[in-house]
Amino acid sequence: MRLPGLVWFNLVFVLLSISVLADSVLEGRVELPKSHSAPVMAKRYEIVTHSGVLSTQPPLAVVYLDGSFPKQTSPPTKQIVQKDLTFIPSLLPVQVGTRVEFPNLDDTYHSIFSYSPAKRFDLGRYRPEERPIPSEIFDKAGLVALRCDIHEHMRGLILVLNTPHFAMTDGEGRFRLRGLPSGHYTLKAWIDSKTTHEQLVELKRGETVRVDFP
Amino acid sequence: MKLLRALSFCLFVCAASAFEIDDVLDRLDNSLTIAAFQDNLRARLSGTIDVELYHFQQPAPGLIDSNIDNLFNPRLTFFLDAQFGPHVYFFAQSRLDRGFDPSDHGAQIRLDQYALRVTPWEDGRFTLQVGKFATVVGNWVTRNLSWENPFVNAPLVYENVTPIQDKSAPASPLDFVHRFNNEKYEFSPVIWGPSYTSGISVSGRLGKFDYAAEIKNSSLSSRPESWDVTAVGFDHPTFDAHLGFRPNQMWNFGLSAGDGAYFRPEAEHTLPRGRDIGDYREFVLGQDVSFAWHHLQLWAEFYEARFEIPRVGDADTFAYYFEVKYKFTPQFFAALRWNQQLFDTVPDGAGGRVRWGDDLGRVDAAIAYRFTTHAQLKVQYSFQQETTGPRDDNHMLAAQFTVRF
Repeated sequence: MRLPGLVWFNLVFVLLSISVLADSVLEGRVELPKSHSAPVMAKRYEIVTHSGVLSTQPPLAVVYLDGSFPKQTSPPTKQIVQKDLTFIPSLLPVQVGTRVEFPNLDDTYHSIFSYSPAKRFDLGRYRPEERPIPSEIFDKAGLVALRCDIHEHMRGLILVLNTPHFAMTDGEGRFRLRGLPSGHYTLKAWIDSKTTHEQLVELKRGETVRVDFP
Repeated sequence: MKLLRALSFCLFVCAASAFEIDDVLDRLDNSLTIAAFQDNLRARLSGTIDVELYHFQQPAPGLIDSNIDNLFNPRLTFFLDAQFGPHVYFFAQSRLDRGFDPSDHGAQIRLDQYALRVTPWEDGRFTLQVGKFATVVGNWVTRNLSWENPFVNAPLVYENVTPIQDKSAPASPLDFVHRFNNEKYEFSPVIWGPSYTSGISVSGRLGKFDYAAEIKNSSLSSRPESWDVTAVGFDHPTFDAHLGFRPNQMWNFGLSAGDGAYFRPEAEHTLPRGRDIGDYREFVLGQDVSFAWHHLQLWAEFYEARFEIPRVGDADTFAYYFEVKYKFTPQFFAALRWNQQLFDTVPDGAGGRVRWGDDLGRVDAAIAYRFTTHAQLKVQYSFQQETTGPRDDNHMLAAQFTVRF
């Protein structure tokens, strides 16, 4: 009785390995723009202020495979936190239909809003202990610019994509996309609201393709 | 009609190209922010362009200084915010407009605020600030700028001109009460707008309490011409303080107090013999409360003020307001404010007493629409009525279009 079980286990393991290996991989590097100037907080009318400086988040790019893919039934919930008067992360790529939560981890109110055509919302003022955590579902592809109505310097971006195949670069611009289906696609590198590079790619089963964006 | 068409066209163009303009202004913002010395020095230049239109009855309400019923009041404001390492912050605010308060005068440019702030500890327990900056009294100052203020004007207590005169003392009690009818802008409110006087302040937060105290060169009722440190000197300083209690992020409670000489130096020769400017003071006690939750914000302030009047005695007044703002959609909000100021009586010099100002109430209603994160339009209607004296009414319609960059 133990032998057939072991055979089945090995068979499933081999088949799984083949299917993973059969998927394509895309990797490469995106030339990132220069760092933005560090943000400055306006404290002109605040009676009580803390010392310290706002953190600077380096520019990153989002690389994604454009094409027609089956829709995920329920993409996993993501989070953008407000901590030390900053959105973390400042750039979040999500698939259409994703719910994003906005927990407030500061000891002060925040009031997140967006007037972007892809998603117009205003969460109002809420406390750190607010439950359920205020959230929004992003159901239209496009760029959503986040602001805080209280802290003018706070800026965040959500890039809502029609594809499940996307990745953020690291600080050096390197990226790696795994588990891609074979076929002809357009690979895009989103740099900022005005700049998106693209290249045609052909993915073959089990191959790793390297693409660099200038 | 032409004006209405032009305004409609402007609004259409603004709405149509809002997001393009927004992107351009975001890029401008990035290019006006600089950093050096490994980000230890950071500076940002920003500003607002305000275009205001007023229609009112004479005499013009509040601190508006105009003899014509329709007033066009454009304003360009620049802000500089600079951070030197984690502990030192500098800011400045300069304006090009037709006067600190809306007026029909020619253009002028001013340096309204500048200050250096040192915050030695990260938890904000102590901050020292030196320069020319807004008062620590009350809770309205934090929303006095056009983008943050739900209304076009200020609450009544910050702009209702009373019979208090800072340039000359009254010759008699009746002179004090009756001379008020002429040249309204020569007289003073209890608190003149955000009161950008010069001096030094300390402030901080200890647990759920926060404190602030300041020594300034001019009193809370002093006019903008008195706010520069070189204007009236520091011979008769004003002392103001604010104590706040914040049980949680929703509620803020505050107590304020102010004490300072309110006459300008040129009033010295009109004072009774043997007395000087420092003998006549303005005392202010204030209570403030604010509440915010989701899309609702409430504010209220209550002020009791006493002016020591030469040849008259003490003149007391009480003023308060309740203000509510509600955001109906991400881009549309409305606000409503009820203001009232009541005046006590003073001796009339003939054995009786006379009210030293006319009690009045004012309701302000405003709606606002934010086209983008950089452009906003507010429209306000105000109705003011004197509840004693001649019982005069005043209707005011105001619109303010703001572009923030």
